[in-house]
Order: sequence, then structure tokens, then C-alpha cells
Amino acid sequence: MSTPPIIGARIPQLGAREKVTGQAVYTDDMKLPGMLYGAILRSPHAHARIKRIDTSKARALPGVKDVVTGDDTLKVAYGNWRLVPDIQDEYVLAVDKVRYVGDEVAAVCALDADTARRACELIEVEYEVLPAVFSVEEALAEGAPTIRAEKPGNLSLTREIEYGGVDEAFTRAEYVREDTFRVPTVSHAYLEPCSALAAPDEGGRVTLWTSTQTPYIVQVLLAKTLGLPENHVRVIKPQVGGGFGGKMELRTWEFCAAFMALRTGRPVKFTLTRADELAYGRRRHAMVLRSKIGLTRDGVILAKDLDVLLDSGGYNAMGATATFLVGNFGAMLYRIPAYRYLGRYVYTNNPPASAMRGFGAPQALFAGECQLNMVAEELGIDPIELRIRNAMQAGDSVPGVATARTCGFREALEKVRDASGWVEKRARKRPGKGIGVAGCSFISGGVFNWFDTKYHFTSCEVRVFEDGTAHLLTMASDIGQGSDTVLRQILAAELGIDIHKIRLTAGDTAVTPKADLGTWGSRVTLMAGNAVLDAARKIKEMLAGVLFMEYDLNQIHDVAFAGDRVFVRAKPKRGMDFGECVYKALRGRRGEPLTAFGYYTPRDKGLVTPAFSFGAQVIEVEVDEDTGVVSVEQVHTAHDSGVPINTMAVEGQLEGSIHMGLGYALSEELITVEGRVRNATFLDYRIPAAEDMPPSASYEIVTRDPEGPYGAKEAGEGLVSPTAPAIAEAIWDAVGVRSDTLPITPQRVLEGLGKL
Amino acid sequence: MRGKASEPGGQKTLPVAKRVLELTVNGDRYEVAVEPWTSLAQVLRDELRLTGTKVGCNEGDCGACTVLVDGRSVSSCLYLAVEAEGRDVTTIEGLAETPDTLHPLQEAFIEHGGLQCGFCTGGMLMSSAFLLSHTPEPDEGEIRRGLSGNLCRCTGYNKIVESVDAAAKRLAADEGGTA
Amino acid sequence: MTAPLSFDVHRPRALTEALDLLDEYGATARVIAGGTDLLPKLRNGRLSPEHLVSLGRVGELDGIEETGDGALVIGAATRLFDVQRHPLVRKRLPALHHACSVMATVQIRNMGTVAGNLANGSPCADTSAPLLVYGATLEVARRDGHREIPVGAFHKGPGSVDLASGELIVAIRVPPVPAGSGSAYQRISARSRVDMAAAGVAGLVTLDGDGRVAEARIGLSAVSPTPTRCPEAESLLTGQVPDAPLLERAAREAAEEAKPIDDVRATAAYRRHVVFVMANRVLTTCVARASAGAGGGTP
Repeated sequence: MSTPPIIGARIPQLGAREKVTGQAVYTDDMKLPGMLYGAILRSPHAHARIKRIDTSKARALPGVKDVVTGDDTLKVAYGNWRLVPDIQDEYVLAVDKVRYVGDEVAAVCALDADTARRACELIEVEYEVLPAVFSVEEALAEGAPTIRAEKPGNLSLTREIEYGGVDEAFTRAEYVREDTFRVPTVSHAYLEPCSALAAPDEGGRVTLWTSTQTPYIVQVLLAKTLGLPENHVRVIKPQVGGGFGGKMELRTWEFCAAFMALRTGRPVKFTLTRADELAYGRRRHAMVLRSKIGLTRDGVILAKDLDVLLDSGGYNAMGATATFLVGNFGAMLYRIPAYRYLGRYVYTNNPPASAMRGFGAPQALFAGECQLNMVAEELGIDPIELRIRNAMQAGDSVPGVATARTCGFREALEKVRDASGWVEKRARKRPGKGIGVAGCSFISGGVFNWFDTKYHFTSCEVRVFEDGTAHLLTMASDIGQGSDTVLRQILAAELGIDIHKIRLTAGDTAVTPKADLGTWGSRVTLMAGNAVLDAARKIKEMLAGVLFMEYDLNQIHDVAFAGDRVFVRAKPKRGMDFGECVYKALRGRRGEPLTAFGYYTPRDKGLVTPAFSFGAQVIEVEVDEDTGVVSVEQVHTAHDSGVPINTMAVEGQLEGSIHMGLGYALSEELITVEGRVRNATFLDYRIPAAEDMPPSASYEIVTRDPEGPYGAKEAGEGLVSPTAPAIAEAIWDAVGVRSDTLPITPQRVLEGLGKL
Repeated sequence: MRGKASEPGGQKTLPVAKRVLELTVNGDRYEVAVEPWTSLAQVLRDELRLTGTKVGCNEGDCGACTVLVDGRSVSSCLYLAVEAEGRDVTTIEGLAETPDTLHPLQEAFIEHGGLQCGFCTGGMLMSSAFLLSHTPEPDEGEIRRGLSGNLCRCTGYNKIVESVDAAAKRLAADEGGTA
Repeated sequence: MTAPLSFDVHRPRALTEALDLLDEYGATARVIAGGTDLLPKLRNGRLSPEHLVSLGRVGELDGIEETGDGALVIGAATRLFDVQRHPLVRKRLPALHHACSVMATVQIRNMGTVAGNLANGSPCADTSAPLLVYGATLEVARRDGHREIPVGAFHKGPGSVDLASGELIVAIRVPPVPAGSGSAYQRISARSRVDMAAAGVAGLVTLDGDGRVAEARIGLSAVSPTPTRCPEAESLLTGQVPDAPLLERAAREAAEEAKPIDDVRATAAYRRHVVFVMANRVLTTCVARASAGAGGGTP
């Protein structure tokens, strides 16, 4: 069966018109009658015991309608890792202690935002300041202050992976090297600051509109922290202005909006400032990665030993996932017969880190890909050739963890080598110019049920109508990436109807079918897409019978759906309009609407993902040897994202990833001194501007993944990883400076050149 | 129009009264009472409910709040609403000539994938409109420099640059056709 | 945390009216032109005036005029964007033109003014180094008089300028550049092409008929408590043939004269190093432009 033309098409986002005209509604755009404005009081200390809170002056301020502290709450610890209660360590408002500068201590709602902020300043908190630690090394040192009583020594969790007899394999290695890499903490820097608006519903229920990637997770954890049945909490995701992993947990303002809406009987809205986001918001983990690799003289990898310290910050958040994924990505891309990983997740008094685009991969692959480039230099083997010699292939496994059923890594390497003129550019040295390479791999959704959901990982409902239209209801969350369009492409392809005839309702926990774990781990296309296929095929079963009745078909016939028609595949003239077919089916069902649910849960797919993407990137730079300024001149990317469903959306994901990787490589770092972020503005936390972004050529390596809908795999995160190591290699190629630390600032380049 | 609190002699002026402003936004005239420190972005969003103007940083760094005042792009989060009195303000809601049509820039952003989450899009379009107003046929560098005040975290900008280029070419062709 | 705001805004239509208001409200008033530096300071509580006197409607302060002696007078309310695009600025003052083209963002340049850039008192004001080398003066008025301040004397320290309450910068006067001179400006940001400058260097070199340096001026921004000239480096050049080794020596001297600090944008060591690099490049450009004649041309 051929792939319908809408699969792979360049279809603009179906909601694009609303976005370009300013009509698309984001949470902070909403205003409800009687709405109150919230503000949060945060800890000024990195580590302190709360001895006393006096809210009386705040309450007395005219216009203030409610003030809450930890004492008003149920004091239940919560977190996304419901599967392991031990690492659910966060409170919606601080209980007894604060663990980072910015930890939420109290909240106020008032008639206007200024009054709410002023009231926060009137809350008196008496702290007993405790000694604090700001690096993983300090936190693990003998006698370090304990940040969480349950974890003396500050080791939040460890994760080990080991196979293949590592020590023995290293004895056979003819070449061994060990390097240590340091990567900083960086911000998601989504353009829309977090915002949440809650309104009380009848019967003690509550509705929350929030800028989230995970309405279901927010619903469940909000119900738990409010002490309400899940079904009393309705979470709606309006338009979301980007997330990148930063909006996938229940957060204090979401709780406080709902809690105070219930307490006051009025809608309450919280919207964060950019300073809140940069100074206190979730962020990507800073890590120290010590990597040891052993090879034969001709460049065959024999063993790898990776030891990683992750800076948790004051709370665990998604730490267990981070710790596991770094180890997983440390073993990816190449056939590594013997591998050992030890990841230690360490509490510090820095703002908590959590999921961010690429989750674990940017760090693991910066270390791994930089190290491989160093190996190539020392062994005198071209870095692309070295990669090809060791590249994973379809069917390869990370033992006990995952299997790559499709793998276009080798093809991607060959493509960027040829398309970039690599061989010639690498051979012909030009002053200040350099070219570098790195590879990447990523998951197409996670299979590990850390949220411990009892529902399917993703679900949808499809309804079809006698006017030829359909309605897709899904809890999958479009946060800008375009999944609302991609899912409709899949449905349109299956039902053979015009995509514009499909209405979509998404991200409303009271309306869309339970459940969907959200937008993270590049899971939506594969998982929610499979659920759409499931539902669509059930609908098609209902409709096919109509043709069999109508034409008295032989049992061996198949029914096709295309061009808004339903017809006998072998005899296309025998058929009818899609709407007419629905009408006839409806008659046959004596009025029962045609609706079907679809589900997807990855089963028996190891510990990581049902499908891995792969990619390779070659980057050309020019380095000003006098100023150390690096200009990225051209990016060549080849990416195996299976069969792209929407080619333009896939390109957009790749280019967005490159942008983020570019910032990670050269400019971004939340400069944190004693737990305080020193550059909490977009003026001083520089994400690349349009002028910084290089031209980018991308090439799809099409593999047909057996698990993905129409063979699709992920596209949204893999490419965030290779940019930094490829730039690092290009800088080395240009001026001979190796970087084991990000970002590679002009200062570091000049230090490497011995000029500072 | 000065409020009572600013009359001569009123040195110890507390509290400062709201004042009534006459604003012209997208060709419509509004009367709103605002405090003197209220930003244009706040008035557009909270009073006029023109929420296509976004506030991404409130510090003039991100460009999501870009609007045109007398045809020039400004960061409305750093622009006092009182300063807009007597001037023409154009927001993303007024970029197209009529409500049922799109500006060629808007069409190009849709067609070329110049948007993802949409939060920066309004500001990005207003900056693009300003660019084309003084440089109708910009080269790639001019487009990138023209968008220097607009951050985007989703697209990596390249499809935005393509969109502006396509719109400029279309506008130039239309201009040529009618001349 | 954002500070609660409370101030009144006055929008005079004439300079005299503006000066009256400033006189009346004295130390409780601030001037607002573009507001791009002022508003963040008000919001974070670093400044809390009761009155803002806006230049938004003072039409007589908006615009660039050439005087009989060939000076350009830039009105205090003239937007940076208009300075950048002015044909005479482009032709005669390439260093200022360049500074106005690369600083901040388009939107900020559409709001902000040169006068505001200086009055903000930031040592990293991009326009300050070019104006220093052009020998610009600030025309400052108050209700009962006026005075002129050389740009070099205006900055007193970070955030501090020579402007009393009741006073208003009405214009920046840039005298004609000497015949046979060339000027240029370069700035560097360590992080992005759109960024605050980590260091800025402006130069103006005048050659005599023999191709020797009649006069050299070097201005630095973002690398000292105030924008500053480099007298030692300048005197090294004076009277000499500006060959490459000499320019490099002068650039090294300029770097020695800088007094940079560490901050989140760059380290002091980096700043000092790039002052040398940029001074060398700027001086080379200046000499090339001076040799090409006609005082410069576009960069």
C-alpha cells in the first residue's frame, strides 16, 4: 500500500492564521470576571530553616484577598516520579526548610498585580540560615551540610549500567584515553513565561488553564496536593509559547492559582516574569563527565567507562530520568561491546534542574563526541571514518536497555560528509577556518512508566459525521511544535478525508480521553500518532461494512479511503462520499454516533524507547584568532527521523534544535554564584539572535520504522546535541584549541591560544 | 492633557491620579484611563484586550511586544502609554488591511513555516513590517539585522528570514505590476 | 522584585515649557526621551522620581542640523535610528554612524536617543567613544541659562554624569572633522552579534601633507569607569608615520590605558586584550580612510 500524499507534505500549522493575526490565546491573555492576581514570595536564602512566618501585615493590605503558606497546605511531597515515592521530594510551598534561592515560601492574591507584589514584601519570614553547597563536589564532600534529611551525604540517587566485561576489555585496548568535560546549566528560554489561571467550578471542583506540556500530569498531581479526587480537577492547555521540557511538572503557581481560587471563590491568575524564569525556573543539568574509552589501533571501540556527576539543585525533579538517560546516551551511536556507567545525582543549593530538550543527550554527547574527535586526531583517522567504523546499525542493542530497529546513522554520516565537501575542506587548511563533525541519537518517546499511570500512555477519540467531517480529541499537547497538525495529517491520511474537515480538541482533561503523558521525549508523533491510527482503523471497520452491504462484496475485497470517498479498492467506481458512508452506517446503528477510541502504550520495548532517531552534523566555523570570536558559517545536517510526516515541521524542529545547540556551544550559561543567577535577563542570558544563526542545509535519511505511524520517528530533540561538539571540533580544526568546557566563549578560545 | 496631580504647585504629588488618554490603535479611537507609568503593552493587553502583543520579558530584550508607533517599531513594554497619545499605534491585529485578509508577511510566515509556538510571531511580523517600510528589498543580512530585537526560541530564525524574503519579493512584484 | 511605581509624566510641547517643569520639580524630576534605559531603572527601584518630563512632543529637539561652520547638531530627542540613517552622519561621522547601527536592537534605536545614551551614564554607552574622538560637546540648558560640556567631561563615574537637577541636554554638537582625517568605531560582544558591548574603541586620525599623524584620538567605552580617551597612545602616534608597527604599539598602549572590570559579559583580561585588537584595527582603518581623503566615507 502506498503512503498517502499527505504524509510527508509541507503543511503549514493549521492554527497558523490565528498565530499571525494575534488571535491565538495563551494563558496570560485570558481574563475572567472577578479575577484576582497572584504573586509568590520566594526564599532569599539558598538553604535555611523557616522559623516563623507572619502574614498579618500582608493580609491587612487593602485589596489583598488571600495569603497562603506551607502551613495552609496538606504538606504532601510530590513529584513526577510517582513510581518511586522516595524521590518525590518537593512541596508546593516550602515546609520547614528552603533549599535554593527562589524556593517558594508563600503566595498572595489581590485585586491587582501591584498589590499582590507589595503584599508579598509585607510577609515577614524569620529564617535560620544554614550552610549551603553550590557544587556537586562540595555537596559530596565529607561533612557537607545535609540538604534533605532523608539523604545524608546529598546523594539523591545513583544509576549504574554495566555489560561486556569492561575491565578486561580495557586490558585489550591498544589506545586508551580519559577526559573530563564540564557543561553548564542553561535555560529553556521559551518565549512565553509560565502562566496559570484557575477558576472555581460548581461542587468544589476547579478548572486550571495553564501553560504546560503535560495537562494530565498537572491534573493528577494537582488533585493530590489539593486533596481532591482527580475528577474534580480540570486542566486545560491553551496555546503554549514553547516548553522544551520546562513545563512538564506541577509547579507552585499552578497549585496556588487553583488552591486560592477554591479558597476565595474567584478566578486567580499567576504569570511569571522573565527574571523569575531565568533566576528560579527549571534548567538543564550542569554535569561533570569523566569518560574513558579504549580502542584498537585501527579505531575499533572496545570499551567505555563513563562517570557522571549531575547537579540536581535543591530538589530531585526529573533527576532519575536525567541520570538514566545520560548513561543511555553514553552508550548510543556506536557499537560499544563493553560499557560501564555510574551516574550520581547530587543535591546542591542551586535552583533545581530538570528536563530540557535532549534530556541527558546534549551532555553525554558533548563528552562522547568531543572525545571521539580527540581519539580520531591521535589515531590519525578521519573522524567521520572513525564513526563509520563503529556506527550502530539496525538491529543493534544496548544490552538490557534498548534495540535500534532502524538506524540511518551511517547513511547520515556519509550524507553530511559528501554534502559539506568534508574531505576537501578538512585536507585544505585555511587560516581561521575549520570544519567539525558530531553525531546524535534520540528517543521517540519513553517507555519507562515513571509516572506510574494506570492508563494508556496516550489515547484519543475520533468521531465522524454524516457531513463528511471528523473530530479528533486528544490529550496530546501542541506547545508550538505542530503536533495538532501532524496528528490531523495522520487521521486525514487514514480516513482519506481533507485535513481541513477535521476539528481538533486537545489538552482538556475533562473532555479529551484519558490519558496522555504529555509532550516530552519526542514522543507525540510516534505515540499519539499510533493512537490516532488505532482509532481511525476502528472507524474504518465501522464504515467498511457499509460498502459490503451496499455492493454485496465478496469477502476478499478491501475497502479504500481516499479523496473524501470510501470505495472498493479493486473497483474504485464502486463507492460513495465519506459523509454518505457515515450516514449509512449511522442509519445501520440506529442513531448511535460513530466514535472510536485509540490507544498506544509501548510494550516489551526495553527500558528506553520504541524507536531511536539518528543524525550527523558537519559545521563550518571561522575563528577570529585575535578576539576569539567564533562565527558559525554553515551547518549541514542529515537526520534519520524515520518517515517525516510533515517535512516543513521536521525542518523547523531541526533548525530550532540547531539554534539551541548553537547557544549551548557558544553563549548560553546561567552564571550562578552561591545559588544566585547573575544574568537573569535576556540582555545578559544571550540566546542566539537571527544574526547569529548560520545557514542550515538539512537532509532527511528516510528509514521506515516498524513502530512509528507510517514509519515516523522523532525529530524534535536529537539535533540539539551534535551542534556543540561539532562546533568544538571545528574550532580545533580552525585554530587548534580543544574545549572540554561549555560554552566556548571568546575568552576560552583566547586562553586556549595562550593569548590571555 | 495633564492630570490634576501635575498642575503647577502640586509638588508633593501623591497619589498620582489616573489620566484619560485618547489612543488611536489600528485606526480605532479609544479613551482609556491609565496611570502614568502604565506601559503601552499593558494598555493594549489589559484595557483594549488586544492580546496579540505579547510580553516575553518586559525589559525590551525579546521583541514579542513590538508594535508600530507612527510607523516605527518600538518595544511597547518600555513605551509609556501616555507617550502614545496623539500618535498612530499599529498592533499585530491591525497589520492586515482588512480583518478578512492577511498581510503578505502574514501569508509568507504561514506558507514558509516562519512560526512555531507563535508567541514571538506578532512582534516578529511587526519588526518585519517596519523593515520593509524603509528597506523594501532587503538582502539576507538586512533581514537578519532588521530582526535583531526579536528573539525566537523555536524556529532557529531561518524560516522567518525566508518568510520575510518571500513577502518582500511578492510586495515588490505587486508594486511593479501596478506601477 | 519589581518596585511599585508612582510618578507623573509631563509632556511639554516646547523647550521652554520643559525647562520650566524641570526647574519647578527640581531633584524630583527626570527627563524621559526614549525611556529604554530609564524604565528598567524605575521598575527595579534604582530610580524613583516623582515626575518625568518627556521630550516626546518637543519637536524643536528632534532632528539633525548642519550649522554654518560645518558642525552637526543632533537634537536631544533625535532617535538613534535617525542618526544612523542621516546622510551627513553616514558621510562625515562613520564611527558614530557605525555605533548607532550596531548598538542594542532596532526597536531600542527607534526609541532611544544619543542624549539618553550618554545621560544614562553607563560606561558602555556605544555612542560615547565616537563622540569622544569627534570632540563633541553637549549643549545643556536650564531655565535661566545654558552651558556646554565636552563629552569627555560629562561622565563622572558609572551611572553618574555632570547634569544638575533642572538641567536638560538639548543637543549634541559635533564639530566638523579635520581635513585629512579618518575615523572608525569597533565594538565587541563576547556572546552574540546582538548584545551589549564588552568593549568599544573609536579612533580619529588626521594626517598632515607628509602622511604623518597630525593628530590622533582614541576613545574607549565599556572598559573604564567612564568612557575615556587614551592620551598616552595618542601622543605615541602624533608626528609619526603611521606604519603597522607603530599602530600596534599605540594599540598596546591604549589597552594599557583601559581600566576594565570583570562582569557577566566578559573578564577584565579579555576586555583589555580586545581593546588592543580593536584599537589596532580601528587605527588601521582610520589611517586608510584618512589617506583616501575626504574624512572617511562609509565603513
